[in-house]
Amino acid sequence: MRRSAILLVSVLLASAVLFVLLRLLPGDPANALVSVGADAEQIEAARRQVGSNLPLLQQFLHFLANIAVFDFGVSFVSGAPVLGEIGGRLMVTLPLTLAAFAGSILIAVPIGILAAVRQRTWYGALISIVSQLGIAVPAFWIGILLVTLFAVNLQLFPSGGFPDDGWTAPAESIQALILPVLTITLVMSASLIRYVRSATEDILSSDYLRTARALGATLSGALVRHGIRNGAVPVISILGIELASTLLGAVVIERVFALPGLGSMLLLGIEQRDYPNVQGVLVVSTLLVLIVGFLADVLQRLVDPRLRERVTGGAS
Amino acid sequence: MRRSHSPLTSPTRGVTVSVVRLVALMTASLTSAQAADADPNASVSIGSLYEPQNLDNTAGAGQGINEAFNGNVYEALFRLSDSGAVEPVLAKDYKVSEDGLTYTFTLQPGVKFHSGEPLTARDVKYSIERVTAPDSKSSRKNSLKGIASIETPDDATVVIKLSARSISLPYNLSYVWIVNDAAKDLKSSEDGTGPYKLGDWRRGSSLSLARFDGYWGSKPANGGVTFRYFTDATALNNALLTGAVDIITSVQSPDSLKQFQTNKSFTVAEGQSTTKLLLAYNDRVAPFDNVKVRKALARAIDKKKLLNAIWGDRGLVIGSFVPPTDPWYVDLTKVDDYNVESAKALLAEAGFKDGFTFTIDTPNYDPHPLVAQFLQTEYAKIGVKVNINIITANEWYSKVYKAHDFQATLQEHVNHRDIVFYGNPDFYWGYNNPKVVDLVKAAEASTTTDEQTARLKEANTLIAEDAASNWLYLYPQIVVSKASVTGYPVNGLNSQFFASGIRKAGK
Amino acid sequence: MNGTAGSMPQTEGKMTRRTIPLSLIVGGVIVGLHLLAGLLTLFWTPYDPTAMVGGRLAGPSLAHWAGTDRLGRDLFTQILIGARIAIEVGSGAVAIGAAIGVTLGILAAFATRTLDDVFAAAFDILIAFPTLLVAMLIVAASQTASLFTAVLAIGIAGSAIIARLTRILAKRVLSMDYIVAARVAGSSWPSIVVVHVLPNIWPTLIVNLALQFGLAAMAESSLSYLGLGAPPPNASWGRLLQEAQGTVYTAPFGAIAPGIALVTLVIGVNLLADGLRAFADPTRRGRR
Repeated sequence: MRRSAILLVSVLLASAVLFVLLRLLPGDPANALVSVGADAEQIEAARRQVGSNLPLLQQFLHFLANIAVFDFGVSFVSGAPVLGEIGGRLMVTLPLTLAAFAGSILIAVPIGILAAVRQRTWYGALISIVSQLGIAVPAFWIGILLVTLFAVNLQLFPSGGFPDDGWTAPAESIQALILPVLTITLVMSASLIRYVRSATEDILSSDYLRTARALGATLSGALVRHGIRNGAVPVISILGIELASTLLGAVVIERVFALPGLGSMLLLGIEQRDYPNVQGVLVVSTLLVLIVGFLADVLQRLVDPRLRERVTGGAS
Repeated sequence: MRRSHSPLTSPTRGVTVSVVRLVALMTASLTSAQAADADPNASVSIGSLYEPQNLDNTAGAGQGINEAFNGNVYEALFRLSDSGAVEPVLAKDYKVSEDGLTYTFTLQPGVKFHSGEPLTARDVKYSIERVTAPDSKSSRKNSLKGIASIETPDDATVVIKLSARSISLPYNLSYVWIVNDAAKDLKSSEDGTGPYKLGDWRRGSSLSLARFDGYWGSKPANGGVTFRYFTDATALNNALLTGAVDIITSVQSPDSLKQFQTNKSFTVAEGQSTTKLLLAYNDRVAPFDNVKVRKALARAIDKKKLLNAIWGDRGLVIGSFVPPTDPWYVDLTKVDDYNVESAKALLAEAGFKDGFTFTIDTPNYDPHPLVAQFLQTEYAKIGVKVNINIITANEWYSKVYKAHDFQATLQEHVNHRDIVFYGNPDFYWGYNNPKVVDLVKAAEASTTTDEQTARLKEANTLIAEDAASNWLYLYPQIVVSKASVTGYPVNGLNSQFFASGIRKAGK
Repeated sequence: MNGTAGSMPQTEGKMTRRTIPLSLIVGGVIVGLHLLAGLLTLFWTPYDPTAMVGGRLAGPSLAHWAGTDRLGRDLFTQILIGARIAIEVGSGAVAIGAAIGVTLGILAAFATRTLDDVFAAAFDILIAFPTLLVAMLIVAASQTASLFTAVLAIGIAGSAIIARLTRILAKRVLSMDYIVAARVAGSSWPSIVVVHVLPNIWPTLIVNLALQFGLAAMAESSLSYLGLGAPPPNASWGRLLQEAQGTVYTAPFGAIAPGIALVTLVIGVNLLADGLRAFADPTRRGRR
């Protein structure tokens, strides 16, 4: 309860800070509505339409009143309700992020552990090299490569876009997401492998593991019994970060694959100074991220009771 | 790649007046058509970089809405055909009074809106007043300022009274959508008279148009069209290569064309463009208030080389703001031809023997940053130092367009017949030549088009001799499609894209 | 980075002999070469980077090792300059990110429960805006885009992740029995930070900072891909990649060469970090 309250207050504070930050950006939301040839009178009309002619304090109070009832208003530019559009885009972003996330865990955890345990074998070294490469290659490069290969040349998958009717034909929607999911999975698992390997190495060199092995436990048995508890903490933390930042961070991939996701809505919103859209996306994604962080924290406390006892002084 | 949502590109983008070349091109594209196999119910997918911001062209919808809606969903009293002719559409007929101040329009009978209501004179009056209203953001608002009153003596007749002669009235009215006066929320829905009605608009992705069965005119040659929107030009090209779209409305780089030119399953059509790239100085401030400096800066640029760098062997070097497709085009490329020595001499005469430094506010999307670097290198040769300041389209509006807080800026101007901007001393570039102001005004008050053309030709020559801005080049206009798709407008540029004639061969 | 092996007191006594890990050598050589190339451009480049010396999009040749761009400028020259810019971006952003992140992370770890919760929530919120988007906002907010704004933006954006990691690592250390004992015995918290916390979290942190260096260089390229990166005439690899986007089919080399440069630098830095870590903590990875 207490934690949730803190989170909620943080969200409100964050959106207030955001409100001010956004207004500091040079430019004017009204500019998106005028074109070359508009005169001063028309520019003023545009400012009235979006309310950017009002004093900042008045804009802020209006914003607070709305946000308190979870009303994000309508887009300055399109006039469409912000929440509705966010919902539509989450239908792309959530499956994309979650699928890539699940894929990365499935790939990275076993491979990372293997790479740590067998680091002196040839495949241990290979894993190192490949994961190094995966971290170092920019995501859009991988995306462009996959499109060129699998979409343009082999014509196996669509090169981009998302079906107009959303998920009414799931097979098509899944097809549209395969290459982008693959791209994010490759990038994300490359860095996850390193964290998993590093965490596993920490455990392998730890005294308790050596003690356990000296007492006759098998390596895998010792790893499972002691390793998960100790190694999972930093890994879960990293996982939380990766999941959270992919929600909006997929913007570059959305660009490459022409996907109507949350990230591109934000990018476009910033470009057009469409504040209701920007605020809506940021508040919703902040909420999502806080939920992810909260879950990660709970999970950490579950696997490592020491965090629970010492840091929070007991369950809340 | 051009940013799709750049507000700098006006909704009036892309109407051309080329006739001869166009007819040749259209014929060419028709002969390659398998018109006989055309499937009348085929759905055509059009790939574009210009998603509308909303659906109302008086509420700042951006250029994308004209591409999707002009002539497709909404019609006007007149229309600018792809060949640039002003043709009557919803106006069956019109008469002009002797003094040129009263226009009487007779409406096309039997026209129905998509909602089923019939078109009446009141709808026309309402529609024009929507554009001239205080809150209108329409780029045509100023050109309709001369309208003193609109009367509707009966359901089929509209009488417009002007306060001064306006020879371009029919032309200007072609930008005014006729909407049902009972329609609500035009930003996210529509009620027009066109051959298509709005299907579904998925923001950030696509906008579909379905055939309107109650259309008064001839039935479209296809079953419906879907505009698919991309922010990345490469992604758009890939969509055509993989068959996800049938047509690309405008190709933004010459280098992607090779893939289509060498492949028989695609057609590459080059039309006529009105998009000009220019280095606009702030003519109000020193040293750009000095005509010698402006001429020197014009002569110091090897524009052919620049055009080649950006567009390969396409596009056209121009000597003023007027493209060859405007009736008042004059070849003025020789006025300030490339000549580094004379540029240096002019600078010295103007008192800048050792050059000077200035900043170019440069929009952050292609090709502007690259062009700015080219200019930087070229101007270094005459001792002029250039700072490049990268800004977004939105900031450009606040800083350059509104506040006039700049020395020089790169910008693409897409409007058709937009030489009139040089007749407005308050315009962002601040060019003020009373003779040009008078000529532009007088041209509008002309009684014949010959008179109008002669006056604007004179104005055109004057701005070139003043080197009012540095006109770098005219963009090419390229449409690429699957070979099985024909009948699309090639000159339509980005603004208008009449979909009704598009044929797609059945499988 | 700034760490030295001497800051690892509790592992010091365990090993008698240290071997220099291979990754340290390979990483050092790669980074060294980039550094050298970058330094070289301060004094000399094959061509004037702005001079239009060749044809449009010429392929690689003896005269132009990496070909030319659309304006006919020598790409190899620009890639060399790009090395300098990448190192500036990477080290600048990491320095800013580490200064902010480590400080905040340690403060959070020592804070009272409520304050710590606020810190944790703040980090989470900051991370909610991925590096790229925080950077985007900061770049958008700065009136004039420059290389420095990009560096500052990427550094600030990356600091939240460092802070979060530091906080978690530091808390793990603080929950160790001997530290609790030290605290009970009255050691001041600055001395605990210097004596116990930093030395213990350093190996994990350095790996992370190296990753951040790579991420910073890559964030710059992503920003450039979105048109928000280092403005011209800075020949950053990201901008070169972005400018080569449209010509990737006709002149693929222009899109590949800066990419390879970027990839090798990032790998080099990561290897170097791996090696440093193994060197600093020889009980674990000194074997390779």
